[in-house]
Amino acid sequence: MLEARQLRAGYGAAPAVWDVSLDVGEGDLVVVVGPNGAGKTTLINALAGLHRMESGSLRFAGRDISSLPAHRFCDVGIALVPEGRRLFTGMSVRENLEIGAYRGAAKAHREASLQRVIARFPMLGERLGQLAGTLSGGQQQMLAIGRALMAQPRLLLLDEPSLGLAPTIVMEMFRIIREVNQEGVAVLLVEQNVAMALDLARRAYVLEEGRIVAQGAPQDLASQPHIQRAYLGH
Amino acid sequence: MPSLTLLGQSILSGVFIGALYGLLGLGLTLSWGLLRQINLAHFALVFLGAYLNYQLAAAGLDPLLTLAVTAPAFFVLGVALHWLLARYSVSPLNTLLVTFGFMVMIESLIQWVWTADFRRMETHYGNVRWKVGELYVPLPELLTLIIAVVLASAVWATLRYTDLGKAMRAASEDAPVAAAFGVNEKLLALLLSGACAAFAAVAGICLALSHTMAPAQIYAWIGVVFAAVMIGGLGNPLGPLVAGIFIGVSEALTMALIAPAWAPLVSFTLLIAFLLFRPQRVAA
Amino acid sequence: MRFFLKNWVPFLAVGAAFATVPFMGLPAFYESFLYLVFHWIVLATSWNLLSGYSGYFSFGHAAFFGAGVYGTAVLAGKLGWPFLATLPVAAAVPALLGVGLGAVVFRLPALRGELFALITLALMFVFATIVLNTPLDGGPGVYMSNVAVPALAPSPSGSFYLMALVLALATVGIAYSVYRARFGSGLFAIHDDEDVAEVMGVPTYRYKLAALALSCGLAGLAGGIHSVFVSYVTVGETFSGWMALNVILMAALGGTRHWAGPAVGATAVTIMTFYFTTSDYAIAGRALVGLIFIVVILFMPNGLLGRFAVRKPLATQASAAAVVQTNAVQEKTEEPILVVRGAKKAFKGVQALAGVDLEVRRGEILGLVGPNGSGKSTLINVVSGHYPIDGGSMVFEGRELAGEAPHRVARSGIARTYQIPRPFAHLSVLENVALPPMFGQVAMDRARAESEAWRWLEFTNLSAKANRLPGELNLHERKFLELARALASRPKLIFLDEVLSGLTPSEIDGAIRTIRAIRDQGATVVFVEHVMRAVMELTDRVVVLTNGRSIAQGAPREVMRDQQVIDAYLGTARA
Repeated sequence: MLEARQLRAGYGAAPAVWDVSLDVGEGDLVVVVGPNGAGKTTLINALAGLHRMESGSLRFAGRDISSLPAHRFCDVGIALVPEGRRLFTGMSVRENLEIGAYRGAAKAHREASLQRVIARFPMLGERLGQLAGTLSGGQQQMLAIGRALMAQPRLLLLDEPSLGLAPTIVMEMFRIIREVNQEGVAVLLVEQNVAMALDLARRAYVLEEGRIVAQGAPQDLASQPHIQRAYLGH
Repeated sequence: MPSLTLLGQSILSGVFIGALYGLLGLGLTLSWGLLRQINLAHFALVFLGAYLNYQLAAAGLDPLLTLAVTAPAFFVLGVALHWLLARYSVSPLNTLLVTFGFMVMIESLIQWVWTADFRRMETHYGNVRWKVGELYVPLPELLTLIIAVVLASAVWATLRYTDLGKAMRAASEDAPVAAAFGVNEKLLALLLSGACAAFAAVAGICLALSHTMAPAQIYAWIGVVFAAVMIGGLGNPLGPLVAGIFIGVSEALTMALIAPAWAPLVSFTLLIAFLLFRPQRVAA
Repeated sequence: MRFFLKNWVPFLAVGAAFATVPFMGLPAFYESFLYLVFHWIVLATSWNLLSGYSGYFSFGHAAFFGAGVYGTAVLAGKLGWPFLATLPVAAAVPALLGVGLGAVVFRLPALRGELFALITLALMFVFATIVLNTPLDGGPGVYMSNVAVPALAPSPSGSFYLMALVLALATVGIAYSVYRARFGSGLFAIHDDEDVAEVMGVPTYRYKLAALALSCGLAGLAGGIHSVFVSYVTVGETFSGWMALNVILMAALGGTRHWAGPAVGATAVTIMTFYFTTSDYAIAGRALVGLIFIVVILFMPNGLLGRFAVRKPLATQASAAAVVQTNAVQEKTEEPILVVRGAKKAFKGVQALAGVDLEVRRGEILGLVGPNGSGKSTLINVVSGHYPIDGGSMVFEGRELAGEAPHRVARSGIARTYQIPRPFAHLSVLENVALPPMFGQVAMDRARAESEAWRWLEFTNLSAKANRLPGELNLHERKFLELARALASRPKLIFLDEVLSGLTPSEIDGAIRTIRAIRDQGATVVFVEHVMRAVMELTDRVVVLTNGRSIAQGAPREVMRDQQVIDAYLGTARA
């Protein structure tokens, strides 16, 4: 469904990501792991249209989206949960969710989507009028996911959702991501929390210094000494 | 100690002038708060609108109808300005400088066409005033108050409750993420900048209705309107109105109780006090 | 002596040459025109001392100019003082007013950039109102034609010419001196990144006040002289918004980062507008100046002298302070150099540090590890003074750091790198590294600091790029620039914040050797890192932070096998 080929993106002279090719199929659950500075955020921002690709191609559901303007990515069915949440902190929980369903197709079903998101995250339902900036880290992450779900996406992109969160909240969040995937939404997740990410995924890519250095089934990757040393030091 | 009537009249005139501050500050607070664009040329645009009104009124057109001409024309100017500033990725400080340049150009244009002499727009309702109890209520000022309240409230409601308003607020907080959810933030920014310039046209009419105009007067409003914008909170449409009325009444009371000459210092003093004690409210 | 000859003699020679003009018997017009050129050179250059060098754009230069005008106007025009006696007042009053404003405004970090510009714009209007409504002017203006002009030249216009010439020379001379000195380095650093400058030891508050005082005093002097030149002083003409624009335009056109920029711009603009003001097209001239202003801001942000924006180095590579070779290698000890107890820091509801306890021992390499968001960078930020701490104590060599101004923390011997490099973008690589030695423990002058900087550039292999701007370096080089800058003040304790991320494996090997050498030379190193290989190889002890608390301390291998640490770091897999 999503095909990236020889993607190259960066800032000025130095590309942060180059020669990256990856696939996400319908209903797939794919994970990209890698150390800090590997280029994970640049990669996912390029896939979401937030960052201009310098070269390479990007196709979604058979359609070439390489030169689509940023505000059109949502239309084709891609929704983003950005790194650090990036909620609209001056707006209420409800308003944040409503922006998620701003685009035409999703707008028609906005109320229904809202009810479904509240059902999934009851804690958000209790705080609809509260300013997003006053929520705790875990609540903000849930809101960010809820906002993306409001767009009724076919592909959900998540950038380091476990960042700065307590382990129990991370577990809960991964459970929800698994549920969403089981309902038919494809998921591409970029993560530092290697153990949980590999446990969640069906397929994984390892990104180091801007390039894909390994890919395959999670259990195969986890047992590689490469990953053990990179993350545990032994 | 002045009489109660005099005090009452002072407060009333303070409210009226405050409403004009609010109307002038509306376009300014929106473009500074939501677009990171500090538009000094806004003041020159207001005066240009006022002078155009004066000219068209001299030709027999009702001032409120001239809005049909000036508002769309200024809208286009506002769009062009934002396009220029966005195209060259101008930083907020530099928007201040660039619009300063535009202000000087517009002021020169005004002086060239209408000379430096004072002008006063004459309309058939310019001198109408009503007596309410012991107090006089002049019609032009009352009109200004009504227009200011209605416009500011309408903008506030739009930002607060409509999809368009929410999209603008989201885009001003985090434009790339707003775009990721379908908000065409570039287009919205252009429209908002155009709207702010159109608001300047409205303010120009109100200014022309109740004040004599001269090109040098443009600078006289900058300090007090910026004070109203900052105290009212950037990006809040009702802010300059409320703060403006507060400043206006303070000025009027200062004039009545101390001396008229010191009124211009009031806004500056209030601003400094506000910045000292609540600086976080002011930063964009 | 060589310095004097090389730099000041040409200067004085130019001045002497210009000084002969009034004695050449030319029509008064030339003297008056050149007076105006000098007058604007003074105003533009004095404005630039604060606004161009430090980035605090003032729209209120006319306010201070006007204070000087009225200082002389009132004392000489109304009270009959001799003209020259009024000049110290014309300089002192605006300087004091400026310092008064700055003392308040510079304390508030929120009032930078555009807010500072707007406040100074309002200031002009306030001064005008005060002058207009008090006996200082009162309304009718002040007649100065009774004031005796000192007879320095055959004619009055000649005398004004000479006074303006002297003031212009003095002003440009001051701008040049500041530019070359430590003071200038500090101001330029403030321009690029005030918070980092403060953490590197620049006394930002004091420097800004000093620049403001100089700027206002010189403008006031120009005002004092000008009041007698125009011979009739009014509020409207003196406190004009037009002047604010003119001054900024002149400096911006010539180049705000160069000492001669404003002078060049002032000359160009005065000549240009002269044609307009004397013709029927005065108004068109004003509009044209506005247009040029816009064009310059948009397309020529560095001005005409922009190509010379990077200052010439005062020391060459050959003079690099020799690397001190000793066979004695510093060993790790048990003695604590930094003790942190209960450190707390919250940002907008997020508790970044929730009571951190740790101890750093002199001479060790301590690893600070933990998942993202655990508080590692925040800890560095509070110890170095970048952020004030909410609660708890941090004692460095017996001295409490909490509540200290950041530049004092730098002076006591603590240095740090930034996770995302924050070099001073408009200072060369050499100048960046020379900054901490100038303002650190041993406050050196610029020349010595640059020699010291060369040494650290050699140490980090950046010598070849010494005169480049940081934007021209790649990520690896920029990280090493951070490192060189932190090392240059010869700190006793240095915090390295993820210097290795983004480096290739061989670059990491080199960096590990470098860090070990840093410790061997006498610094204690605290090393925040995710690259586990480096942590294992380098560190003597490791502290693990999670959710703003320290959960384990000890030898690296033991700590990283601790189950609690593994859980925190990697996350538990689903049961």
